[in-house]
Amino acid sequence: MPLPPGEEIVRAVHTDKWDGERLSPSLFVGENISVSRLAIIPLADHWDLFRQHVQQPPERLLELIAQINVGRLQAIGRDRNPSVELTVEQKPEEWNPAHAEIPQRITRGLANKILPELTLHGPPGPPAMK
Amino acid sequence: MTALFYQSLPASFSLVEALREPAAVAAVRRTAPDELAREELLLRKLGPRGWGRVHHFRNYYASDWGENGRVLSPKALDAFFRFVEEAQFPAGGPSVFLTDRGGIELCWEDREGRPVQIEFTGTGAEFYQAATEEEGVVAFDSLAQLARRLSA
Repeated sequence: MPLPPGEEIVRAVHTDKWDGERLSPSLFVGENISVSRLAIIPLADHWDLFRQHVQQPPERLLELIAQINVGRLQAIGRDRNPSVELTVEQKPEEWNPAHAEIPQRITRGLANKILPELTLHGPPGPPAMK
Repeated sequence: MTALFYQSLPASFSLVEALREPAAVAAVRRTAPDELAREELLLRKLGPRGWGRVHHFRNYYASDWGENGRVLSPKALDAFFRFVEEAQFPAGGPSVFLTDRGGIELCWEDREGRPVQIEFTGTGAEFYQAATEEEGVVAFDSLAQLARRLSA
């Protein structure tokens, strides 16, 4: 079932896709791109989820979490020539009930339009000392 | 004289000698004949950060890394080296990324700050140039031509 345009989705960014300066467009190139829904799991809990199930230390570390609104993503697709009708489909998994996928093929050119629209979240800092 | 000297050495010396087993020596990896030239090329064109990232992608990302990520394709890596040799990058150098399909990707900006990208895969190279909104795939035999076109 497709997500409504008002939902926010996130994607994990690891060491292989971020070098401290640039973000790899391949993060959004291809088909069936995995994302996760903030409506089901809050952002702060996604750090634990991704660290536990997706990152592979010591080499592949979770560096950032990239966020975008579903409606914004769809507007970017529609603005392309030729237009691409992007959807985000629910696809819950055992390890992540918030898991969803973008089934359509995203080209490198389209990914380059998505990247600047992402909100990048760094890891949460340690709790403030009292 | 030598024998007497050896016998008078402390126990720690014997321990170090004992650690020098043939098995450890046999584990030393042999490099390809052009490996040193390639390392020097990476340092010169991509800088220490780019060199380090390529080293990591080659040696520490085994199959099934990440979300079904594929191990770096030897053909992609070979094409990557050939392209880097021909291409000219702006100061600061390009960024290097490993893609889920086992490709290696270079990203930089042209003089006007617009993105230029190329991903080397096992079958060819996929490129994107924001200045012209051009994207496409070229075969390995067109790499030198593409390098000249995309160079800063």
